[in-house]
Amino acid sequence: MSQQTLADKVGVTRQTVIAIEKDKYSPSLEVAFKISNVFKATLESVFNYE
Amino acid sequence: MDFSFKEKSIIASLGATLLIFGWYFYHVFANLTLTVNQQLNVSDLIGAVILIVILEIVIQSFIAMRNRKETEDERDKLIEIASHRNGYWTLCIGVWFLLFHLIIEGSGTRFNFYHNLIFTSPTYLAHLLLLFFVLAEVIGFVTQLYYYRKGI
Repeated sequence: MSQQTLADKVGVTRQTVIAIEKDKYSPSLEVAFKISNVFKATLESVFNYE
Repeated sequence: MDFSFKEKSIIASLGATLLIFGWYFYHVFANLTLTVNQQLNVSDLIGAVILIVILEIVIQSFIAMRNRKETEDERDKLIEIASHRNGYWTLCIGVWFLLFHLIIEGSGTRFNFYHNLIFTSPTYLAHLLLLFFVLAEVIGFVTQLYYYRKGI
């Protein structure tokens, strides 16, 4: 899945998806849940707290 | 370096502000004379404001035509809030500095640097206040760019 497709499905910009991937931005719970919903995975399997 | 639409827009605004107001303040402070009665040249100020509005319209339209415009999301809003806060503190420091300046002046206390009449000129004070407004705006733009690059 492209960054743009994920961004469109979640309702954020592609830049935000890039920032999340590069660990430069921690998304809100709402966006985090939306991303895990897109991948049909649990929140813990997509994100982890370091 | 790959810049997003938002970053390009901020760089354009920063460049226009620095160019126009840099020129304006250089022009104003280089020509300030040591008189308390010097009048504020309003036409120069209006000219600078009109020029920056026109420049912003032209540059922002050009950027919008050449790039895919992205809608704002939560990260953009967060960055905007954080950079506005930085601009606000810059402005606060400037206003407090001016307030202190005026109180000292009003109290009749004279320091060595106050012997210079330029410090009591309303023209000087008005421009100093305007300088802090512009500085706050510049700090806002710079920190916005920093947060977009380094993360928030």
